[in-house]
Amino acid sequence: MIQLRILAGLAVLAGGMTLALPASAEDSFSLSIKGKAFEPNELTVPAGQKITLTVKNLNPTPSEFESSDLNREKVVTGGNAVTVFIGPLRPGSYEFFDDFNADTPHGRIIAK
Amino acid sequence: MFGGIKKPSLVALAVTAAIAFTAAGPARAEFKVRSPIVDYRELEFEHNGDVTFDRPGSGLNNGQSFTYELEAGILPWWQPGIEAETETEPGSNQRFSATTFENLFQLTEQGKYWADLGFFAEFSHASGRNEPDSFTFGPLVQKQMTDILGLDLGYDTLHTLNLLFSKEIGLHRSDATPLEIAWQSRLRLNQYFEPGFEYYGNITSIAGVSNDEATQHRLGPVLVGQYNMFQYGKIKYEVGYLFGLNDRTERGAVRWRFEYEKAF
Repeated sequence: MIQLRILAGLAVLAGGMTLALPASAEDSFSLSIKGKAFEPNELTVPAGQKITLTVKNLNPTPSEFESSDLNREKVVTGGNAVTVFIGPLRPGSYEFFDDFNADTPHGRIIAK
Repeated sequence: MFGGIKKPSLVALAVTAAIAFTAAGPARAEFKVRSPIVDYRELEFEHNGDVTFDRPGSGLNNGQSFTYELEAGILPWWQPGIEAETETEPGSNQRFSATTFENLFQLTEQGKYWADLGFFAEFSHASGRNEPDSFTFGPLVQKQMTDILGLDLGYDTLHTLNLLFSKEIGLHRSDATPLEIAWQSRLRLNQYFEPGFEYYGNITSIAGVSNDEATQHRLGPVLVGQYNMFQYGKIKYEVGYLFGLNDRTERGAVRWRFEYEKAF
């Protein structure tokens, strides 16, 4: 029973830490999906810090902002926007694409 | 939260409902490290398998376990699934062992906090008349890091921890509360090839009396990757080898996982 209480305590502590430690000050960026294109198609962001990226879908149909490089996948329904929390990133280039619309040209986030 | 759908009370309700209607698992735990991130609007078919190796006649050689699962990310924070499990105890024939209803709840936005947090709950209905059903639940935590205690490996690392508790219900149940620990750390070289290591611990009971003292520890390397075919879906794989770390565990086990996912 003592083991159970210790484990429960650790679980609560871990959960609390996860939620209590907010992201550090974040720069915000945005991009849109309009027709078959990301606008802008290339985005330069600071390396070494967290950023928030707002993705607006200006089309009536859903899209999915996805990046294997960034380890992010986020569906954005038609006419709506989602926030993607990214980083901190190493300096480099990170490809992203619309997983629901393969013919949309891929975009890039450049971290400097 | 989660793309404009703000329903924390629904999350709590769904978690509570899943706990209320669920129960504990098959004789052998599945070797799988679960991500806390829901693949929203994706349908996934997954196969997991493992085969154990030990001295012939040890009772630990050639144990096999296979699962076949269908999952769907129907909400940004909820991914239910249904799973069929078969297993072969060493020296016996393969048999259908359980049908499982799984639920993954994503509790935090990916990347928003220090770590990503999810909750897993499953009800497993044993196929054997004399075997108890079971309920398994617990937290899933994931953290991507650019360095580990100041050590920069040149690539990001992804760390995932599962702490899953089980309770048996119904006739022939045990009062024990087993704990399954699953840990995976891997280097994010590229999407096709991410090497890492895994640990699986099966603690017989952290509370209550167990009739079967069979705590097991396993550790070994793993390769993880994926191939995106865009409108044709995505294939993911994991292949690993686990070394048994104590007398109750086989000397080694090969484990694999293949997944095909398609947006809907």
